[in-house]
Amino acid sequence: MLIDSLISALYLVGSLDAEMVSIVLVSLKISTTSTMIAGAMGIPFGFFIAFNSFPGKRLVITILNTLLALPTVVIGLFVYSFIARKGLVGSLGLLYTQTAIVIGQTLLILPIIATFTIAAISRIDARYRKTALTLGASRFQMAMVIFKEARFGIIAAMIAAFGRVIAEVGISMMLGGNARGFTRTMTTAMALEYDKGEFTLAVALGIILLTVSFGINLLFHSVQGRTRP
Amino acid sequence: MLYVISQLVKAYHDRIVLDIHSMEMEKGIIYALLGPNGAGKTTLLNILGFLEPPTAGRIWYCSDQVQFSTSYLQKLRQGVVLVDQNPILFTTTVYKNVEFGLKIRGMSKNQRDKMVDEALDLVGMRHFARAQGDSLSSGETQRVALARGLAIFPEVLLCDEPTSSVDTIHQAIILKILKQITEEKKISIIFTTHDIHQAAVLTSHTLSLDHGKLVSA
Repeated sequence: MLIDSLISALYLVGSLDAEMVSIVLVSLKISTTSTMIAGAMGIPFGFFIAFNSFPGKRLVITILNTLLALPTVVIGLFVYSFIARKGLVGSLGLLYTQTAIVIGQTLLILPIIATFTIAAISRIDARYRKTALTLGASRFQMAMVIFKEARFGIIAAMIAAFGRVIAEVGISMMLGGNARGFTRTMTTAMALEYDKGEFTLAVALGIILLTVSFGINLLFHSVQGRTRP
Repeated sequence: MLYVISQLVKAYHDRIVLDIHSMEMEKGIIYALLGPNGAGKTTLLNILGFLEPPTAGRIWYCSDQVQFSTSYLQKLRQGVVLVDQNPILFTTTVYKNVEFGLKIRGMSKNQRDKMVDEALDLVGMRHFARAQGDSLSSGETQRVALARGLAIFPEVLLCDEPTSSVDTIHQAIILKILKQITEEKKISIIFTTHDIHQAAVLTSHTLSLDHGKLVSA
C-alpha cells in the first residue's frame, strides 16, 4: 500500500495537481508572511535586548527561552480566546482566516527569532564595538556595525523560524479551520487526508514538505557555516 | 598641551587600576608608555582615547576640560584613534575597513577613494585593498588597522602594544610606519610597550607605569 501511495504521490507531484499546488501556495504564503512579521518585530526586539544593559535583562531572556517550548495548541487556544466570536476582538471576524493563522504563527516564532538574534549579537566580538567607537561612530552607527557583523546569525534565525511555521499543524488547524483553498495548509491537509484514509495527497504533500524542509536546512547550515570564522 | 591629567583614578569595583597624580603630554610627539602587564597601560589608553571615563580626576584635551558625556566624547573621538593590541577587522574587504571612518564622516566617494589609497600606501597594503579582512595575517591586520585609523587623519594615534602580536619583520615595518607618521603627518602618537628597547627606537619621551602609578617621566 505504501509503495502504491508513494508512486501515486510522485505522479501527483510531477503532474502539479491543482489542489496540491493551491495547498502548497497557501502554506508558503502564510508561513512567509508570519516569518516576515515576526522578523520585523523579533529582530529589533532581540537586538535591543542584546545591545543594552538594563535591570531584568536576564529575566527577559529566561522568559523568551521558556517561550521557545510553548506548544502550538497553547498558542492556538490563546489566540482563539481573543478572536472567537465572543472574544475581545471577535467582532473583527478573524477566526478561520489566513490572518488568524498568521497571528498565531507570528506568536510562535517571535521568541525563536528574538532569542536567535540575542545569541547572534552576543557572540559578536566586543572589539567591533570599541573599533567603531574609536573611529568616531555614533551609537547608532556602532549598532549598525554590530548588526552587520551578526547578519548571518540573524538570517539563520529567520530560516529556522520559517522551518518551524511551515511544519506546524496545531495553530493552522485551530485558527484556520482547514478550509479548502483558503486556510488549508500542507500540514492540515495531510492530517485531513490521513483521517479520510486517503494517503496519495498526504504523501505528495509530505514529499513537498520534506523537500522544503531539506532546502531550508541546507540554507540554514550554509548560512550558519558563514557565522563561524 | 595635548593632554593634561590631574588626580586621575580608575577603579573597577573596589580595585584601583590607575592612580595618576599629574601627567602632561605635548602635541606632535611620540610617547612610549612603558610598564609590565597589568600596570594600567591599556586602561590609560582607553581613557585617553575617550572610550571609557575615569572614576575620578580631570583631563584636559587641547586645553579643553573633557566632559565625559556621550555626545561630547563622540566629538572628541573624531580626532583620536586607538589601535588595539589585537585589532579586529570588519568582515568585509580591506578597502571597506579603511573606508569606514571616512564614510561615517560623510565624505564623498572620490575623497574616500583618494584617502583610502593614501592610507593603504602609507602602510604598504594597497595591493590588499580587495582582500577580505579575515584572510590577513596578524601583521597585515595590524597594518590595515593602522591604515584604518590613519585614513581619518587623526590628531592623536593611540597604539596598544602595536608589535606584540606580530613577527619580527612586521615589527620593523610597523615601527617604521609609526616614525614616518609623526615625521610626515605630524600626528601625535602614544603607544604602549613593555619592551624598553623598542621604545628607545622610536622616542626618547617615555612614561612608565607600575601598578597604576606613574613612576617616571
